[in-house]
Amino acid sequence: MKNAAILIATAISFSAAAAGQEAEKLPFIYTKWKQFTVKDGLPDDHIFAVKSDGNRIWVGTENGLALIDKQTSKVVKVWTEKDGLPWRAVTGIDVDPKTGDVWLALFGGGLARLSGGRFDHWHQLNSGLVNDVVYGVAVENDNVWAATTAGASRYNTVTGEWTIFTEKNAPMEEIWNYGVHYRDGKVHLAVWGSGVLEYDVKANRWKDYLDPDGEMEIDLYRDDGIVHVITTGANYVDNVLWVSSYFGVCRYDGRNWRAFYNMDSGLPSDFNNNLRARSGREAWFASDKGLGAIMDAETNTWVAYTRDPKSDTGKAVVTRDKTVLETVEMGLNLPHNFIISVDVDGRDVFVGTAKGLAWGIGESYYSGLRERPRMLAENKGGEK
Amino acid sequence: MKRLLVFLAFTALMASDAPKKPPAGEPLVPPGVEVDDHTLEVLRRINSVGPYEVPDIRLRRDTSYAKTPVDYEPFGKIKPYKEHFLEQMQYNGPGRAIPEPDDVNTVKIGFIGPIMSTVSIATGGASHEEPMGVKMLQGAKLAIEEANAKGGYLRRKIPFELVVTNDNGLWGSSGNEIVNFLYKNPVWAILGTIDSANSHIAIRVALKGEIVVMNTGDTDPTYIETNIPWTMRCIGDDRQMGYLMVDYMIRKMDYKRIAIIRSSNRYGRFGVREIRDSARRLGRPVVIEMAYKLGQDDYSLQIDRLAETHPDVIVHWGDAREAAIILKQIRERGMKQPFLTSDRAVAKEFVQLAGAHAEGVIAGYPWNPDAPNPRYAEFRERFRKRFNDEPDTYAAHAYDGMNMLIWAIQVAGLNRAKIRDILATRVKPWPGVTGDIPFSATLDDAGEVYLARFENNRWRYYSREDLEIPRGYVPPRERTARELLTQAETK
Repeated sequence: MKNAAILIATAISFSAAAAGQEAEKLPFIYTKWKQFTVKDGLPDDHIFAVKSDGNRIWVGTENGLALIDKQTSKVVKVWTEKDGLPWRAVTGIDVDPKTGDVWLALFGGGLARLSGGRFDHWHQLNSGLVNDVVYGVAVENDNVWAATTAGASRYNTVTGEWTIFTEKNAPMEEIWNYGVHYRDGKVHLAVWGSGVLEYDVKANRWKDYLDPDGEMEIDLYRDDGIVHVITTGANYVDNVLWVSSYFGVCRYDGRNWRAFYNMDSGLPSDFNNNLRARSGREAWFASDKGLGAIMDAETNTWVAYTRDPKSDTGKAVVTRDKTVLETVEMGLNLPHNFIISVDVDGRDVFVGTAKGLAWGIGESYYSGLRERPRMLAENKGGEK
Repeated sequence: MKRLLVFLAFTALMASDAPKKPPAGEPLVPPGVEVDDHTLEVLRRINSVGPYEVPDIRLRRDTSYAKTPVDYEPFGKIKPYKEHFLEQMQYNGPGRAIPEPDDVNTVKIGFIGPIMSTVSIATGGASHEEPMGVKMLQGAKLAIEEANAKGGYLRRKIPFELVVTNDNGLWGSSGNEIVNFLYKNPVWAILGTIDSANSHIAIRVALKGEIVVMNTGDTDPTYIETNIPWTMRCIGDDRQMGYLMVDYMIRKMDYKRIAIIRSSNRYGRFGVREIRDSARRLGRPVVIEMAYKLGQDDYSLQIDRLAETHPDVIVHWGDAREAAIILKQIRERGMKQPFLTSDRAVAKEFVQLAGAHAEGVIAGYPWNPDAPNPRYAEFRERFRKRFNDEPDTYAAHAYDGMNMLIWAIQVAGLNRAKIRDILATRVKPWPGVTGDIPFSATLDDAGEVYLARFENNRWRYYSREDLEIPRGYVPPRERTARELLTQAETK
């Protein structure tokens, strides 16, 4: 395994100054990380999608699908086109909680299902899939939603019925779907040029979230609505909608919007490829300059994880608003700072980068903030 | 011993990721490729980084987005919280460290454009852009052929190869075509497209697959308003042409009542946006905006509604055919208002269909074919010789765009990220056959745009200065860093 297995940076020896400090409310910091690359058996280092499901980590790459077993921390199976994977580039993954079937969004190859060791394949010419460039996939009850570059498609796995959603039957000003997510009765589509669309499954009703100022080149007011009409991801957790974009990120609690930019928060960059929300207060953003986690939305407290480009070390920077509260040096955390996908599961976090996968182990994870002293000391070595 | 093995393994690992440098004594750029000191320094820096580093290269920064006059700025009486597009996007991925492959016989460049007739949902029904796409392909071909006549890809002495695909198929097929360019028949960069619905689909795929798309024919302002570091354009856009047309109509001619008729597709919808918004911001809101479906023959419904508003001037945004038919039908009912239209009317089809009504029509235009530019004169001669036909705007811009890609490949080598870097960091405007092409921070063509007027059976091209069109004040500082100006100060 590249850079060895577990890099432990928790043995932080606090400096005298730190020891003398009073405890303050601070977020959890992931200091234990594992990395996986082609050296560990991944079919490709360019990780487009990651999905944790119980003891399994599904990894979608630019050239194949991989399965990592959490117990052994090994890549136990790889599928490329030679192994029946219908198309090489896997841009989205979801797992059906009822059947265990693995659904794959294929970048230019349609939609696939891995079930019983066999791939089933749907594309423009054999199904109601609206386009073969599928960026995201989400399982909603008996339905599977595919976010494609020319609309969204919904496939009922029981009846076999397909439904296509475009500007003709949904409030899509543009049809360039990018992300899809289902939770708590609502499907959310992140659509380039159409903000976020919310589909209420029970009510069979659409609702759109657009940038109120309607202008591409400005954000008039920070908290007036969705941050930009070009969105890349939307997650709905605890009745809170989180949105990522190439123009910053935002959060909506049903009453108030709040935008976060690099200039006013710990978000590493305004260019965000995707997100994963853990709760109404915590969400993780896949930026092009590192991994940004807002750990307590109310206080705008973030942890930004980056790797040192010149060495096998990394760091976590805790900020509140734009004030740095602590910087924790650690061993290697992320294989690369260009983050493409992220997932959270239980206490752990999984990060797909442009050059490998990271698994952050949160054995002592806690939600929100807790009183603890700052981690001022450095621990560059880590354990291999 | 264990430590030594770990060290050796690490060294080997790093070596495999290490960027490939030219052997000592070999020039950084092959002889015959024009390159200035700035680009050479950029090349040194991008060649020196490994997969985890981002090169230290200066990013372009503009003080104003799209040189927007202060009185055209949206929500001008409010200081916005954030402005986008002022600082150039950087590519922060590992692509620069991918070594140039050994097993290439040709250097493939992708072409995507509307070259075959189809029925397309994206473009609003039966395809209508093939005449433009075919010209675009001819311009691109000529550039490739000329580069090959000069030795092709000079580092390896192998030819360039144009990989051609159609983009106006069903179901957003431009996305699938870009995927093919990424994986099935890989190319080093892509030139295209015209229809903006297809363009947007294409650049989203290009972003994910990390490849440059040089646009030479889509004038939709939102094309580059996407923050995609891989997207660039070498043709003036509808925002710039719209600003000039509003300056002409209001600041110069003092028209009070502007009416708009446009196609209902994305080209029409987004083409008139800056005209509509800028006119409103100058206190002359457009009196009516009528949309029509492509391919109609009878526009009486729309023209009835236009006539009811007693406009001083009529602006059309759509294709040449529709521009001509609408103009004829307007004139045939005795309406004599000045007729302004989008650049697509500057075409043989418009002149043939409009006949005598074409006289006096004004169109926004992204360049000046009448400018004393020997590069264009020579290109025109070569184009005529090669294709036995006149080049048009799509041919000329495709020729420029393809030459920019070829130049960047010659300088950067066969690495998609470096090709992007070389183009994105170019400081000097590109000396094109369509004139000088300077990039803005969004990698858009920031050069001058023009008005074309049909006079005495031909189009003549006028600059802002030629027609003495007043220009609005463009503040030298970004909006978030300056105080709001009073009404008087904006004059």
